[in-house]
Amino acid sequence: MLWHIPLRNLFRNRRRTLLGLAIIALGTAMVYAVLGYVDFTMYNIRLGTVKQYGNFQIASPLLWDEKTEKFAYLIQPDTLAKVEQILSKEPGVVAYTKQLNFSGLATTPNKTKVVRATALEPNNRALDYNDLVVTDDKEHKEWNVGKGLDPADQGKVLIGRTLAKELQLKPGDFFSVTATTVDGAYNVGPLRVAGVFRLNNEVAEGQLIFVPIAYGKTLMNTEGVAKIIVKVNNLDDSVRVASSVQEKLRAAGLELEIRTWEQLAEFYRQIKGFFGALFGFLMLSVSVLVFFIVMQVLTLAFLERTREVGTIRAIGTKRSQVFSMFFMESVMLGVFGSFTGLVLGWLLGQGFNALGIGWTPPGAIAPVPVRLSLTLGNAWLPFIVSAIATLLSSLYPVTRTARITIVDALRTA
Amino acid sequence: MILETQRLSKVYSVGQEKIPALRGVDFHASAGDFIVINGPSGSGKSTFLNLIACVDRHSEGEVLIEGQATSKLSENQLAELRKRKIGLVFQSFNLIPVLSAYENVEYPLLLLGVNSSERQRRVMGLLEEVGIKDLAKRRPDELSGGQRQRVAIARSLVTEPKLVLADEPTANLDSETGKQVMSIMRRLNEDHKVAFLVVTHDPVVTQYAERTVKIRDGQLTEENSHVVAYSAA
Repeated sequence: MLWHIPLRNLFRNRRRTLLGLAIIALGTAMVYAVLGYVDFTMYNIRLGTVKQYGNFQIASPLLWDEKTEKFAYLIQPDTLAKVEQILSKEPGVVAYTKQLNFSGLATTPNKTKVVRATALEPNNRALDYNDLVVTDDKEHKEWNVGKGLDPADQGKVLIGRTLAKELQLKPGDFFSVTATTVDGAYNVGPLRVAGVFRLNNEVAEGQLIFVPIAYGKTLMNTEGVAKIIVKVNNLDDSVRVASSVQEKLRAAGLELEIRTWEQLAEFYRQIKGFFGALFGFLMLSVSVLVFFIVMQVLTLAFLERTREVGTIRAIGTKRSQVFSMFFMESVMLGVFGSFTGLVLGWLLGQGFNALGIGWTPPGAIAPVPVRLSLTLGNAWLPFIVSAIATLLSSLYPVTRTARITIVDALRTA
Repeated sequence: MILETQRLSKVYSVGQEKIPALRGVDFHASAGDFIVINGPSGSGKSTFLNLIACVDRHSEGEVLIEGQATSKLSENQLAELRKRKIGLVFQSFNLIPVLSAYENVEYPLLLLGVNSSERQRRVMGLLEEVGIKDLAKRRPDELSGGQRQRVAIARSLVTEPKLVLADEPTANLDSETGKQVMSIMRRLNEDHKVAFLVVTHDPVVTQYAERTVKIRDGQLTEENSHVVAYSAA
């Protein structure tokens, strides 16, 4: 009914209103930008993690509890067949693959190094390392002829960049790998480098090798596999599908346990917790800043209208109506300020993204891009936070104004 | 009777000290009265006006508006009463700066929830009566003092109240404009049959009164009753 009065009052003292708007807008833009950065970073870490672990993994509880003595955790072919039957009927499961892991010694004529081998089904659709193969390295062009593993490649291997440098290997070169079989005997096999892969993690690139699962089984003298890695059609469905499969495994009497990608990725959980705390602290700081500055701005703005308040109260405006009028003004300030902040944040963010800045995290070899995810989905939180901080900051001056004594207000010059 | 006060008292507390501003005032006003209350500064005339305007609480006694006692009314009930039955004209005009002349006069009708066409009829009618119809779109800072006071008078009458209270309405105007404003108030008093109660220390204003009451040391004394040829002013 009386919305036009708050609206006009908002632009009455333009300098003061601009100060209030600027504080709210800057706060909103800052939160929007940081949220955009966190979101982009977490999205990429999430993608990378799922690529590394699959959506979930099925294994013996012994493996998850790290009771790996005598390889009792291995899933034998009869159990595996039952699991595969369950997975093939589960809606939401896109693909799955078997994996076997072992440690061993990689030896060239000049050097020996401890490696951790992941034996997998080449070209499977659940977890594929072939797309990590380097084909565009500017420093080591000899790596660029490398290829991924093929189901027909029994004795081929993918090695990390750091390992390739340390053992001075390139695609086409041979080395031998020594491992312990499930019976405790040593076994040695030759491997030919099919390609060199990039993980952007110096430690992992210096230790990991990928071999076909058939080769791993032969080397370890077993028919069993360590785990089954499952890919789900939608990342957000991981937990739901995992629960469904877990129930079916239990119903089939299989002593196997599922771990989702988030349970497996300790690093992801730590990063998520860190970013959560950082973002929470930033939001709190911005809210406190907006709260106090806007409260100061509104208190002064309302104070100079004391006699007007006395007048409108004297001619019959109720306290609640005065409260509504001034609160509405704060709502408008909060909404305008927050919206302006989103626009400002979006524009600055687009500019920032266009700069193409990157940074090298600890342990990484190459810089990773720093981008802000400026989506609508990331906009509502900064908007709400700034608007609520503004409204909370207005409560004291608005209440104080509404409770003014008419006679005292009318006496104000 | 539109207004009646019974043994009306107001005592202000300053620290431990009690200062009586009004001492047991009995007063009444009827429909169509034009009463001027005059007295020197500090005599209690503004206190008296605030009490009968129901914007301040009295210490003792009673204020009755159209027979309704006000001392036990809540804040909201008092606001409702002021909105419907009392019009106010202030010394400093007290218009809302962000609203035009039209909107200032319209404001009390918005509080009453009067529909748009009726609002327009009443507002334009009154702006015409006070002679500033052509200035309806101007904001207060674009109006002279006399024009602002006319807007304030129109605003005080727009809800068709029973009683208009004016506190030193000519104090911020030059003498000629003051006379014009008083003439307008007197004419509206007759045309609308609304009781006007004007508090002033300006002797010129007294000339427009049909009844003059003097206030001194918080007590009223009836001075005289006479008919004034306001049109001559």
